[in-house]
Amino acid sequence: MAALIPNVIAMKEQFISAIFETIYMTLFSAVIAGVLGLAVGILLVVTQPGGILEDRVSYSILDKIVNLLRSIPFIILLAVISPLTNFLVGTTVGTTASLVPLIFGIFPFYARQIQNALLDVDRGVVEAAESMGSSPAEIIWRIYLREGLSDIIRVSIVTIISLIGLTTMAGAIGSGGLGDVAISIGYARFENDITITATIVILIMVFIVQTFGDWLARRVERY
Amino acid sequence: MSEDSKQLISLRNISVDFKRDGKDIAAVDDVSLDVNKGDIYGIIGYSGAGKSTLVRVMNLLQRPSKGTVTIDNQELQGLNPQELRNARKSIGMIFQHFNLMKTRTVQGNVEYPLLSQKLSKNEREGKSLELLKLVGLEEYATSYPSQLSGGQKQRVAIARALANNPKVLISDEATSALDPKTTTSILELLKKLNVELGLTIVLITHEMQVIKGICHNVAVMEEGQIIERGKVAEVFTNPQETLTNDFVETSTNVKSAIERITADPSLSTLGDNQRLIYLNFIGNASKEGLISELSQKYQLNVNILFANIDQVDGENVGYTIAIITGEEASIERAISDLQTAGVRTRLLQAKQKGE
Ligand SMILES: Nc1ncnc2c1ncn2[C@@H]1O[C@H](COP(=O)(O)OP(=O)(O)OP(=O)(O)O)[C@@H](O)[C@H]1O
Ligand SMILES: [Mg+2]
Repeated sequence: MAALIPNVIAMKEQFISAIFETIYMTLFSAVIAGVLGLAVGILLVVTQPGGILEDRVSYSILDKIVNLLRSIPFIILLAVISPLTNFLVGTTVGTTASLVPLIFGIFPFYARQIQNALLDVDRGVVEAAESMGSSPAEIIWRIYLREGLSDIIRVSIVTIISLIGLTTMAGAIGSGGLGDVAISIGYARFENDITITATIVILIMVFIVQTFGDWLARRVERY
Repeated sequence: MSEDSKQLISLRNISVDFKRDGKDIAAVDDVSLDVNKGDIYGIIGYSGAGKSTLVRVMNLLQRPSKGTVTIDNQELQGLNPQELRNARKSIGMIFQHFNLMKTRTVQGNVEYPLLSQKLSKNEREGKSLELLKLVGLEEYATSYPSQLSGGQKQRVAIARALANNPKVLISDEATSALDPKTTTSILELLKKLNVELGLTIVLITHEMQVIKGICHNVAVMEEGQIIERGKVAEVFTNPQETLTNDFVETSTNVKSAIERITADPSLSTLGDNQRLIYLNFIGNASKEGLISELSQKYQLNVNILFANIDQVDGENVGYTIAIITGEEASIERAISDLQTAGVRTRLLQAKQKGE
């Protein structure tokens, strides 16, 4: 082991904490961006023309915000958003500071994914619910989120995997985590075994998320 | 007004405009319609006539550009959202594509409307099972919609629509995706609900067979307007409008028969003492007898080329095309006597005297 990955062994503790930093960044930003993205995705679907709470103004504002945020490259977002980060977390570097750009980088993407998943819910079923006197809240909970659940799980998995990718880029603002280790140690010091090990750990994480997600989606799809 | 209490649905001067390519198109154009309690009211018309738009106005799924909607003496446009949702619960609706929730079982679908009522789980299950029994599907309670046939899916949709105890059931082409046999069984079910529960039904279709099978009243729609309406037996035995006539003659094969017969060259040489005539009569066999009587009473020779008996709202309607041969004066007398007896006649050959 020591012969195969000498540099990793030499910085064992730092490497393990990098793994936990990646997990922390991914989970924490996934939860917050998840809530935000889900809310915005639902709002986009219900306010769109022909939606159950059609509202052209709200729809076009939300739609533009999502488009705008999605067109900023993440590496630039890291810099552009730093005043907000400073205001919210009191610093612009480090693992916790990276959560702010991660959330803003991923939630618009997730919102679009949710929007598409919910648009796949049969409009006729929504109309049937309206005809039965269901309220908008009931239609969102009992029709959109339920009928769309397996698709929601699938797009959530895609989003979490993208998010793992973004956490590695956050290394540019000293976020820590596996990306940071791979670039600022493995790459900078020509310690290739660190880069490769970090890559393998990330691949394993992606694999676990994907497998769990597929299993969950299939489990709820028992019809 | 006592008149009012008879009416369940009352649409007054309803217009619905849609914008398409910057232009306004009138999907529904100044339609007034009354449906009485306990009626089965059919709305027939070709695709694009505005039928769906009109019935979607009845529960304000479609807000009209003009006009008022009154259901059970309650004007819907005056209601706030919560009140409107309550009003919708008394208006059940079923659809061409069933619109069942794929993630819920058959029973889960029927329970859906009950979720927003204050019922215990047991009460919900009891009520949904009862409804499934009513539509004959209790043994499918735990199946998913994807495991059912089209006719079964529509039965589930009917049970679901009944869960709110609606006063009226609106059916938008509910049998159009079904084969003829299944269509008949669904229509039988609707008829049963009408008789046993006193359920008022508004039914849209483009098939005459459906109207003739169960409706008491009918409205014919074309280009957003109701062009003809009344009792099914009357409208379909004495159609005033070309479109209505078209529906009748197509569905009874009269149209193709007339085309075939009038195109037959051997019939173009009818003599002065011959008439090619189309007869249409409602009701009993005595009128059929009336036709055969022609031969004896007026000494006419009747050669029947086409005959069809049809059931409309429980009444027999006959369609006959025949060549009558005999003395000219007797023929005239026979025809006028037939007309007095309520038989509609139309000469199909030259020398015609109209109706
Ligand atoms: N939401 C809409 N926006 C624009 N035009 C519409 C809309 N809904 C219906 N229309 C138009 O209104 C007209 C009537 O449509 P409607 O669906 O009521 O017809 P229909 O009689 O139910 O036809 P079908 O038998 O095909 O269901 C059509 O010309 C249709 O294109
Ligand atoms: Mg239609």
